[in-house]
Amino acid sequence: MNSKVVAMLLAGGQGSRLKALTKKVAKPAVPFGGKYRIIDFPLSNAANSGIDNIAILTQYKPFLLNSHIGIGSAWDYDRNIGGLRILSPFMSEGGGRWYTGTANAIYENIDYLDELNPEYVLVLSGDHIYKMDYEELLDAHMEKDAAVTLAVMEVPWEDCSRFGIINVDEDNFIVEFDEKPENPKNNMASMGIYMFNWSILREYLLKDGKDKDSDHDFGKNILPRMLAEENKMYAWAFDGYWKDVGTVRSYWDANMDLLDPNNTLDLYDKSWRIYTKTRNLPPQYLARGSRVVNSLVNEGCYIVGDVEKSIIFSDVVIEEGAEVRDSVILSDCTIKKGAKVYRAVLLEGTIVEENQVIGREDTDTVYMVAEGIVTEE
Amino acid sequence: MDKCIGLISGANIENNYGALCVHRPVYMLPFGGRYRLIDFSVSNMVNYGIKTVAIFTGEKIRSTMDHIGDGKPWDLNRRFNGLVLFPPVTQGYPINLNGDIAQFFTAMDFFEQVKEKYIFLNHPNILAKIDLNEAFHHFIETDADITLIYKKQEDPWGEYINCDKINISENGEVLNLGMNLGTETNFMMSLKTGFLKKEVFIKIVKEAIEKGDFDNLQDAIMNNKDKYKINSYEFKGHTENIRNLKSFYDANLNLLKKSIAQELFYERGPIFTQTKDEPSTLYTETANVQNSHVANGCIIEGSVENSIIFRGVKIGKGAVVKNSIVMQKSEIQENASVVNSILDKNAIIGEGVRIAGSTLIPYVVEKAQKIRKD
Repeated sequence: MNSKVVAMLLAGGQGSRLKALTKKVAKPAVPFGGKYRIIDFPLSNAANSGIDNIAILTQYKPFLLNSHIGIGSAWDYDRNIGGLRILSPFMSEGGGRWYTGTANAIYENIDYLDELNPEYVLVLSGDHIYKMDYEELLDAHMEKDAAVTLAVMEVPWEDCSRFGIINVDEDNFIVEFDEKPENPKNNMASMGIYMFNWSILREYLLKDGKDKDSDHDFGKNILPRMLAEENKMYAWAFDGYWKDVGTVRSYWDANMDLLDPNNTLDLYDKSWRIYTKTRNLPPQYLARGSRVVNSLVNEGCYIVGDVEKSIIFSDVVIEEGAEVRDSVILSDCTIKKGAKVYRAVLLEGTIVEENQVIGREDTDTVYMVAEGIVTEE
Repeated sequence: MDKCIGLISGANIENNYGALCVHRPVYMLPFGGRYRLIDFSVSNMVNYGIKTVAIFTGEKIRSTMDHIGDGKPWDLNRRFNGLVLFPPVTQGYPINLNGDIAQFFTAMDFFEQVKEKYIFLNHPNILAKIDLNEAFHHFIETDADITLIYKKQEDPWGEYINCDKINISENGEVLNLGMNLGTETNFMMSLKTGFLKKEVFIKIVKEAIEKGDFDNLQDAIMNNKDKYKINSYEFKGHTENIRNLKSFYDANLNLLKKSIAQELFYERGPIFTQTKDEPSTLYTETANVQNSHVANGCIIEGSVENSIIFRGVKIGKGAVVKNSIVMQKSEIQENASVVNSILDKNAIIGEGVRIAGSTLIPYVVEKAQKIRKD
């Protein structure tokens, strides 16, 4: 792919249902899978798909996100030609404005896109965990000669009411948007990944920008209006792993998915690496007497205790006699002697005191520990 | 420390390492699960604020180029200062080009041009996290021309025979430098490391070339001991002097001692190295790992004990790894057994194969070698 595509990665989401996980950081910066942050997935996809230009639109608590991304070196985006830009809300003659919706965020940065003048604009969300070759999406988009192509995927029928459901004709062209339907006609959901013809998107952004009643949202406003005005809109079916970790529960689930030997998000696949900022930590050390099974463990950990079915991030200490089960332990936690942690998500730097017990093994509840406070989910 | 340039030069004897140094210089030997020996040297310099690092690479430069590159992992990829690599010069000068003196001489422009007034000389095969601020302070305070760094090394078993032995006077002046013959259970081991005034360094190199009397800097320095003020600084921390296969093997396994790992990995700053973007390591239902360091990107299904496992290694079900060093991307297949061994990168030990060395002479599997049952 070349500079005819510019990717716009929306990373301003708060993700309020993730509660303490997003108290200090935006949802795209939430840690995932032992060493990553959620945004590493779309960013690595873009890098692996050969996208030369990518802009990251930040808004909500961007400090950690900004320092994580830096100048994009981890994804090879520190370049002279093309590369990565962070676009945050800014001041202009009419005063400063926050991004009021997904479409508005792009609209406010029309000057950036005009200068690059791409043929296509790929709109991505920084909230999702998946591996996708955007070049395949572009190929389908070009082949179908569509104004916009949406990546869609099958979701379980019972979850349809959480998604924007897409109804298509026999050639997979979109005929109807069904936003969070009670009685869905099918189970193809929009993944929030759009490949637009820039000239057409530009026109609709300008129209939408003038519309005072609009929420300036792609799903609610731009796409339905394009459909109403009979643009060719193609639904490109994706069938890999994709997860929107909207809640603490689904966050825990998505982490646990990595321990399933049949999981389709193969992090070990060398042809599609997920990149992230490195922390320069030494290897992990498993002491005599330790037991670590069915678990992912990252660098810098020091483990003497017993770990089962868990994701252990970096620099975690698990002392003698401590037990960790079905849990997600974020970086820099210490689980002291004899402590027990069951079905829990421990935020960065949590210290579990000697013999303290967190969570229960025999329930369906997931427990979250943030700043020493345990909540049930 | 920004008054100093870092100078890394390792005159290597590579035939002490079996198959491990056929394709790489000694300082490029993998160490500690994810590092190369030279990472410790470069990282310590960078952690103490040295901004210009010159590496005299020696031969077999490919692995050096691949690993060090433009110095990015150490933040040495700069427009001002940064990393300078000096591959060996083998022709074009009307002098004998053997020895480090000649190599330094061919880079005289560099030494004369850099604005730093001092040189911190470091041997990459000797690991020591020296507090460079303190050592440099000593060098400046004592107004020395050269300060050499040594360690009081205990050696009851004569394991350090042939190492450099430094003899100093009561007030710390260096009297001479010789070879340790194991006559004492405690000796002062030269770390082949120290500070030099740049002008003194340049004079010594030029004189040695003019007289043609010395090939090696160390000899030339000692020849000038009456002319310059040469004193010493004692390093009291942990040292690994890697000089043959056995000491390389032991140095790796020494990391299983908590205090040593703590000092080498954490104290006085982190060790930087090339990142490999490996995911976390996966331990399956059948994994059993005891007293071992494991790097990222591994998939462990078997048993591992007293070992150092590098990045991206696969250990199959029922396989046993004991007292061994398994380097990057090697694979130990189901029910294989690896004891007292060193597996170089990309080695494959086939299903059910058993290999074993002794802790005195570990069995070495060459890079990319595949061992299968007949």
